[in-house]
Amino acid sequence: MGRQVQKMTQVSLIELSHLTKDYGSFRAINNLTLKIDGGITGLLGPNGAGKSTLIKVLLGLVRCTSGTGRVLGHDILAECDEIRTRVGYMPEDDCYMHGLSGVECVQVAAQLSRFPATEALRRSHEILDFCGTGQERYRNVETYSTGMRQKLRFAMAIVHDPELLILDEPTSGLDPEERESMLNRIQVLSRQMNKAIIICTHILPDVQVVCDRVVILVAGQVILCEDLEILRRSPDPSFTVTVQGNAQLLTEFLRKRGAKTESISDYSVRVYGLEEEVSPMVWQAAADTSTPVRSLVPSRTSLEEIFLKAVQETSHANS
Amino acid sequence: MPIHSLGYREWSGQLTTARSQWTVIASIGIRRAWQSMWLRRIVFFAWVPGVMMAVLIYLFEQAASEGQASAFMTGGIVQLFLGRTEREAIRDTFAVNASAIPDLVKYRHAFWCSLLQVLYQRSQAIMLIPVVGITAPPLISQDVRSRAFLLYFSRPISRTQYIFGKAATVACYVLAISLLPGILLYCTGVLLSPDISIVLATWDIPIRILGVTVTMVIPTTCLGLMLSSLTTETRFASFAWFAVWIFGFFAYLVTSSFVNSGARTPLEMLSLFHVIADVQGWLLDVRPNTEIDIVAPLTVLSMVTLVSLTILYKRVSASMSA
Repeated sequence: MGRQVQKMTQVSLIELSHLTKDYGSFRAINNLTLKIDGGITGLLGPNGAGKSTLIKVLLGLVRCTSGTGRVLGHDILAECDEIRTRVGYMPEDDCYMHGLSGVECVQVAAQLSRFPATEALRRSHEILDFCGTGQERYRNVETYSTGMRQKLRFAMAIVHDPELLILDEPTSGLDPEERESMLNRIQVLSRQMNKAIIICTHILPDVQVVCDRVVILVAGQVILCEDLEILRRSPDPSFTVTVQGNAQLLTEFLRKRGAKTESISDYSVRVYGLEEEVSPMVWQAAADTSTPVRSLVPSRTSLEEIFLKAVQETSHANS
Repeated sequence: MPIHSLGYREWSGQLTTARSQWTVIASIGIRRAWQSMWLRRIVFFAWVPGVMMAVLIYLFEQAASEGQASAFMTGGIVQLFLGRTEREAIRDTFAVNASAIPDLVKYRHAFWCSLLQVLYQRSQAIMLIPVVGITAPPLISQDVRSRAFLLYFSRPISRTQYIFGKAATVACYVLAISLLPGILLYCTGVLLSPDISIVLATWDIPIRILGVTVTMVIPTTCLGLMLSSLTTETRFASFAWFAVWIFGFFAYLVTSSFVNSGARTPLEMLSLFHVIADVQGWLLDVRPNTEIDIVAPLTVLSMVTLVSLTILYKRVSASMSA
């Protein structure tokens, strides 16, 4: 852990400068400049935004057309092997190594990352235990369900103890219970083991649960790179009041007192204003109307709203 | 969770060298290929001709110790095993007949080379076709199908290491039916000979064996892997592999029945089997027809290797960026 903390503090996780990648006449990444530090980062974007291409460029699987970049301090063009030694990648595709059992797949992944054979086998069992894979590890991977293969790919990505983990759709194809377990594992790796993690996904609730930061990519360009906590703060300060029973009486009372309100549901209302103004007013209204207040919390913008707003703004600007 | 589960732990051991990853890919391939019952049968069966040749060497040495080497050579049992090509080569070189007293050292050298030529051309080159036909087609086609490239190349491994690992899988089995029987046959000959000084007279034979096996291994392995990389269906790659040999063989038969010149025609060059046999004969110094230009077969084998490798690299690279 010490090694990782030391390196994380010295260099940025990812630094990209004016990166462009063309596939013939199609520009997948367009003059992208980005800096990402540790923690869990959600990489979001509509289909065709360039997320997968960006990941492949980071791993050195495809060469960028122009621009420069460094991953964990290593140049993405000249030091691909060093990057791949220190990075774990879980692909989105349903890929597997044909004809091998689950534990053999993980062992091979470790050996390809230059682990000695015996140590690779020991480590594989340890990681499969961590991933909650039982005796099915001895079965051929062709017999695995989608969810089991997903866990197997996750195990293969982390078996060599990488400092940076790139997970492409880690929870797709998982049932709710497995999805929660997977998110827990990701959080354990980040919070307890100090791994830097990039999650590339379309499942926004997952990002909302685990990510510290969000990068939104549209048409090969970064349109948003911000801490999730900052993003979720509403531009106009407001509070959501949830009551027991009907909130109509409370809402009317607040309006008469000059408060700006917005009804959210039968039992909740949003009240705009600063905390020192809103809080006494709400408690007074609750007392006067005999309405039991269940909660009074600052309003937050959902990630879905943020994502849609960012994408739509870019679309309008481009058109 | 199992009772021994300790959760995630960091790892701080010593890594192996950066150039050893191809051995991992090769060992997977070798293990998986060995699961084929047909491959096991062919590999075991491929050693039978070598054993028969060893018996011939034993009989030859027995005859030589009794001064009957020439008689042995013209005897029925040897004539049965040696083909017209080998018989002519020995006769032309040494003008041997039953009453002549040959230079036994040179005679032995020619006889051993002739036996090796028979071994490689008549049996091992034929065994080579199913051995590569079983091992090579699944190696890359299954990786394309199961999209395993991303799993491989997200590790510190290069295309060259990947291809080398796959090639080593095929080469391992081809060497098992070519190099090993040849070398063991040579060792058998040395052990059965009157004294160990025979090694000095035949030191070049192991090198010739190595050359012959390289001729068998490299072009066929590259061709087999290239065909495997072109499809996601293993059966299509297998079909293409056998079709190349069968089509070439028929092209040779048809052309050679119409054209009876000493030199090979371009159509005859389509037969990899005969092209390899020409080079083997040249390497073992047992050539059926001295008019045959060895440059043409060598060029064909080099072209097959280079074109196959180029396509193979392009296919693997395309899969990486797909």
